[in-house]
Amino acid sequence: MKPDFYVLTWNDVLVSLFFIAFSIFLIKKWKLGLEKTLLIGTLRTFVQLTLMGYVLTWFFDQQHWAFMLSLLIAMIFIASWEGTRRQKNNIPHFFAAMLISLLGAAILILGTILLFILDVEPWYSPYAAIPIGGMIIGNGLNSTSLTANRFMGELKHREGEIETLLALGATPKLAVYDAMKASIHAALIPNINGMMTVGLVQLPGVMTGQILAGIDPLIAVRYQIMIMYMWFTTATLANMIMLAIVYRQFFTNKMQLRRELLRNEA
Amino acid sequence: MPSDPIFQFSNVSLKIDAVSILKGLNFEVHKGEFLSVLGASGAGKSSLLRMFNALSSPTEGSIKFRGMNIEDDMEVLRKNVGILFQNPAVFSGSVKDNLLLAGRWDQNIAQTLDHELIRSLKQVGLNKIELQNKARDLSGGEQQRLALARTLLNHPQVLLLDEPTSNLDPKLSSSIMDLVNNLRENLSLTVVAVSHDHVLMRRYANRVIILSHGELIGEGSFESLDRDQVFEQAGLLDTEAADET
Ligand SMILES: Nc1ncnc2c1ncn2[C@@H]1O[C@H](COP(=O)(O)OP(=O)(O)OP(=O)(O)O)[C@@H](O)[C@H]1O
Ligand SMILES: [Mg+2]
Repeated sequence: MKPDFYVLTWNDVLVSLFFIAFSIFLIKKWKLGLEKTLLIGTLRTFVQLTLMGYVLTWFFDQQHWAFMLSLLIAMIFIASWEGTRRQKNNIPHFFAAMLISLLGAAILILGTILLFILDVEPWYSPYAAIPIGGMIIGNGLNSTSLTANRFMGELKHREGEIETLLALGATPKLAVYDAMKASIHAALIPNINGMMTVGLVQLPGVMTGQILAGIDPLIAVRYQIMIMYMWFTTATLANMIMLAIVYRQFFTNKMQLRRELLRNEA
Repeated sequence: MPSDPIFQFSNVSLKIDAVSILKGLNFEVHKGEFLSVLGASGAGKSSLLRMFNALSSPTEGSIKFRGMNIEDDMEVLRKNVGILFQNPAVFSGSVKDNLLLAGRWDQNIAQTLDHELIRSLKQVGLNKIELQNKARDLSGGEQQRLALARTLLNHPQVLLLDEPTSNLDPKLSSSIMDLVNNLRENLSLTVVAVSHDHVLMRRYANRVIILSHGELIGEGSFESLDRDQVFEQAGLLDTEAADET
């Protein structure tokens, strides 16, 4: 018999606190001294997600294009700020680079999904735009911050090579091509590997959630396939836009590498 | 002795983070000459050499190349002014890949035939090296010569050398410097060579500039500078002490 829904009540959630109790028991036994932090974490998980539930409920009641647009833009701003915070190196205009790359990815990919794949009517319906927009922006954020860090590492490591190429007459773009290629590769290969093994070892979170909520696995699978493709394209597009902006920051308009940027760490 | 100035440095200073690296340098480089820049370690020689192909700009003063501001046409400048770095970058890949680096954007270089590449290797004394060898397997001195061959394939008018013989034994040092000097004579190349080895430079340089703590403390022929004892002043005679600073 196939259940329509596994409804989780607040009581059930309270029972799941048993997991935490059990962890605390184990932690005490090993004298790891993590009890206090864990309790704070437990509380924050509960409070933050409960609040988020109410916020989302309110969001899902809003049916207005201006609301959805502002929400997405706010998400992109927050993600760009978070990406800049995660950046340990001193990349000039990195916030703007994040903003533009996430905006570009969101417009192109979210737009395509809402308008042409899911045919959401109207496009600003929160049930589609919020979760999918969130996935695109979150994924773009993670991928671009990793790539930016890697790119900085490549620049430091290849400083001599880059100046050699410049000295032989290369434009800045040609001089950093190898560094850009290596950092984009590093970002995309885990994505491709994920596509190779998806479903074999572990079911992706979204699909698991949908199946638990009673959705036909075949429908859940279709969503997951779309999401995998979407993820990859988001990472590709956001990284390319970001790097196209970022690499320029490392050169003067006289084709000189700004070596001072490779020295000082923020 | 040619006297057509190809570079003119006027009051050139370089400051990095409020530290003065080069201080108010005034001098010219003449077309076709072999100019040697001598100075103890840390005197600012490499920092100065990078300005000849505008890898760095002075924070004060101006540099002219062939009568025009050096940064007016970067493409022409970089094409015409080749540099051999103190620690040359050798790329992963084959010797041939390294020679053809500029072929990525320069069709003429991309079309260089293998026998021409082999000739350019022989020219720098790399007789036994195959084009297919892995470049990073070469010894330090071989890598330095590979980098020189790579720079020469660009057919520069000016060749900048930063301690070109630091990884070579005396015999090879002489043969590389002989090669550079022959190219200078045959192709009317201008050579600017940075070194702390004034004994070697004596055999090749027409003129010398002496740097000490970022200042130009002597300019002219070896004879006149010997007379004024500028080499002692620059800490160049006691080379061991100089290397430690
Ligand atoms: N990017 C930089 N930041 C800070 N200081 C620098 C930088 N580049 C060079 N310096 C300093 O400037 C001085 C001159 O350096 P430079 O490399 O030009 O000396 P050099 O004469 O070539 O020495 P060597 O013979 O050891 O190669 C040194 O004291 C060095 O520490
Ligand atoms: Mg040096």
